[in-house]
Amino acid sequence: MKFGSMLKDISQALVQQPATEQYPSVRRPVPERLRGRLVWNPATCTGCGLCATDCPAKAIELLVLDKKAKRFVMTYHIDRCTFCAQCVQSCRQGCLNMAANHWELAAFDRDDFLLRWQSAPESG
Amino acid sequence: MQTDTQRERFTIPIGPQHPALKEPGHFRFSVDGEIVTGATVRLGYAHRGLEKLAEKQNWVQNIYLFERVCGICSHTHATAYCLGVERLAGVIAPPRAQAIRTLVCELERIHSHLLWLGVSAHEAGFDTLFMYSWRDRETVMDLLEALTGNRVNYSVNVLGGVKVDVTEEIAQAIYKGLDFLEERTHHYLQVVSSDASFLQRARGVGVMTRQQAEVMGVVGPTARASGVTRDIRIEAPYAAYADFPPQVIVDERGDLEARFVVRLKELLESYRLVREILARLPEGELTVRMPRRIKSGETVSRVEAPRGELFYFLKSNGTDTPVRVHARTPTICNMTSVVRLAVGHQLADVPLILAGIDPCFSCNDR
Amino acid sequence: MSTVTSIAALLLFPSGLFLLLSGLAYEWADRKLLAQFQNRVGPRWFQPLADVVKLLAKEEVAPDGVNGRLFVALPIIALAGALTAALYVPLFGLAPAFSFPGDLIVTLYLLSMLTLCMGIAGANTLDRFSLVGATRALTQLFSYEAPFLLALLGPALVAESWQISEIAAYANGRYLLLTQPIGFLVAIIGLMGKLELPPFDAPEAETEIVAGALTEYSGRGLALFRLGKGVEMVVGLTLVAAFYLGGVANPFAFLLKTLVLLLVMVVMQALMTRLRIDQTVGMWWRYGALLVLAQWLITILFHAISQVHLMG
Ligand code: SF4
Ligand code: SF4
Repeated sequence: MKFGSMLKDISQALVQQPATEQYPSVRRPVPERLRGRLVWNPATCTGCGLCATDCPAKAIELLVLDKKAKRFVMTYHIDRCTFCAQCVQSCRQGCLNMAANHWELAAFDRDDFLLRWQSAPESG
Repeated sequence: MQTDTQRERFTIPIGPQHPALKEPGHFRFSVDGEIVTGATVRLGYAHRGLEKLAEKQNWVQNIYLFERVCGICSHTHATAYCLGVERLAGVIAPPRAQAIRTLVCELERIHSHLLWLGVSAHEAGFDTLFMYSWRDRETVMDLLEALTGNRVNYSVNVLGGVKVDVTEEIAQAIYKGLDFLEERTHHYLQVVSSDASFLQRARGVGVMTRQQAEVMGVVGPTARASGVTRDIRIEAPYAAYADFPPQVIVDERGDLEARFVVRLKELLESYRLVREILARLPEGELTVRMPRRIKSGETVSRVEAPRGELFYFLKSNGTDTPVRVHARTPTICNMTSVVRLAVGHQLADVPLILAGIDPCFSCNDR
Repeated sequence: MSTVTSIAALLLFPSGLFLLLSGLAYEWADRKLLAQFQNRVGPRWFQPLADVVKLLAKEEVAPDGVNGRLFVALPIIALAGALTAALYVPLFGLAPAFSFPGDLIVTLYLLSMLTLCMGIAGANTLDRFSLVGATRALTQLFSYEAPFLLALLGPALVAESWQISEIAAYANGRYLLLTQPIGFLVAIIGLMGKLELPPFDAPEAETEIVAGALTEYSGRGLALFRLGKGVEMVVGLTLVAAFYLGGVANPFAFLLKTLVLLLVMVVMQALMTRLRIDQTVGMWWRYGALLVLAQWLITILFHAISQVHLMG
């Protein structure tokens, strides 16, 4: 039994910088694996739609215009996404990825939460 | 639950909105002066209908649904669910995946116990301990973020394995973080078992005897602090716990101090386990192929969450959606003990007694 | 002429407005230091002021079942009590604005008025948290009041006066802290109890009874109570510094010594766990009161001996 067993901590803290992160003014480096928003690389996409089926938040909508010509429209709702990376896991072609750098996703407009990608239609 | 015929007495309602509760729950304490003479509890304010929702989603989507039952032990929930589904499908995840699951389970336990330490210290009115333990908890949060890509819902599990691998670089970072945490934990252990001003709030308060603990069926560290050796990691090893057995920490005293000591010692045990897993991580694949339709049948999956035994019941009819998923979380088992133990104590002790079981209302209400 | 200066002394300086602002400044210093000890950032310098301004701008809701007049009057009485107490105290190194023999006792009772008002305010409402808070506040008042009073009377004994200005003059340059260490300890812990700072914050323990006696207060009433607390802090610190730390003859000494006292109080806040109300009472009556009585006995004996010496 003794008094003031945290005396050492508080006396050290007197000369320490506060541990609080000064977020908007000072940013920590982003961890490499951070799950930010989705990026889609249409080059290898087959339009199987597995990503949309497995998404727990129904954040992905895939519109297949022409499967042969590989013309797809991918709609991604950032505001619904739970950043679970299941779509990345489900996609066998490796078209989907979560961008570590895009994580400050707040926006003033709802429309900013909607991303629509189109696979580049092959000539014609 | 009611432990007193509540006649016209002076009752103090606590909750659903109250500074002592971080989540909604409702308690009524009838008091005689400062002494609590009766207590009732009402739960269910955080009910989100997750079990029903699970019946509408496929097996894969449900991983993430159950991960969100609880914000603190999200990985434990997902592990229980995935292990159950894998058992139904007759698939066994590769050893490396199992080891990584176990690793994240233990890291999560570290973060959960440190969080609890802070919350309980705050309930007792020891804010300095609260601030410091949460500052140090950031270490393990950062490690989890580096390993999995997120601070809270790690989403490590997939059916049939895990998503993330442990690289040498991350392993080194974890070793380093654990060294720091180990030193701090020894310090906190010393604080909670020697600080006079803290002990007068914790020592001999809220005593639950071993017999009471067994009768009320409490689980987890709360039971172990009353001398009940009950730990799913030992009794029915899951994931890689058979290869990396933890030591059960028990304390016979059963008071609040014992609960602090047990949880802090469990932290030290978790550090040891994490190091061991990292040192002997099996090589191999991270996932095996899972069928999309799960064979019909039913199973039970039990894991040891930071708060105690977590129980999942799963039933499949051979399609890609479950027929029934039921989760029973440790808090509901421990809640009776709060109502029982509060009676006879001072009103001022009640928040600490409640915090002593590490309640998680949203877990409990699903 | 003297009426004008009296009014100025009452409303602007050293009492009145200036005192209110310095109360807020001390509150800020308390919070900021505590934050630093806990490795946090803490509030910015204008935060207490901003809080008060915000509260003043808000509607004051009088709940059902209270005595409306009492509800409005209590915060005003509390603040008035604290401000009146300040008139007899050598604030900021200046001589007290008013002084008469025996003003020490009056000041101490004026200081208790705040707690008393809070107790009544809590009992005035039907809210259960307020009722429990009020009971606790009054219980605590009765436990620390006597030892705190006795501790401040220690210097009065050796100064052979019950007038604050005379005691302060006597204590000036004499560090009574050294001759009456127990009295000093009891005084400073008593002050913490008076201000309901942790670990003596059972009357407003947020994890148990929300905001205690003041749970139902909002807007202006709450702002006035908080201002009163700030003033009480300054007055209390001044009294203890003037009596025990070698006097506060000039503004610089005042600032230095009160801040040192504040630092000691913050360290105790940071190191301790909240006491239960029964523990607080037990501590004061079992140890506080007895210790300070022992201190008295020693002081009186020494005094008598030295008197005998002088005569002999
Ligand atoms: S990260 Fe998860 S929630 Fe987001 S789009 Fe992919 S599967 Fe859906
Ligand atoms: S899972 Fe992959 S290949 Fe299939 S539709 Fe989605 S992005 Fe395209």
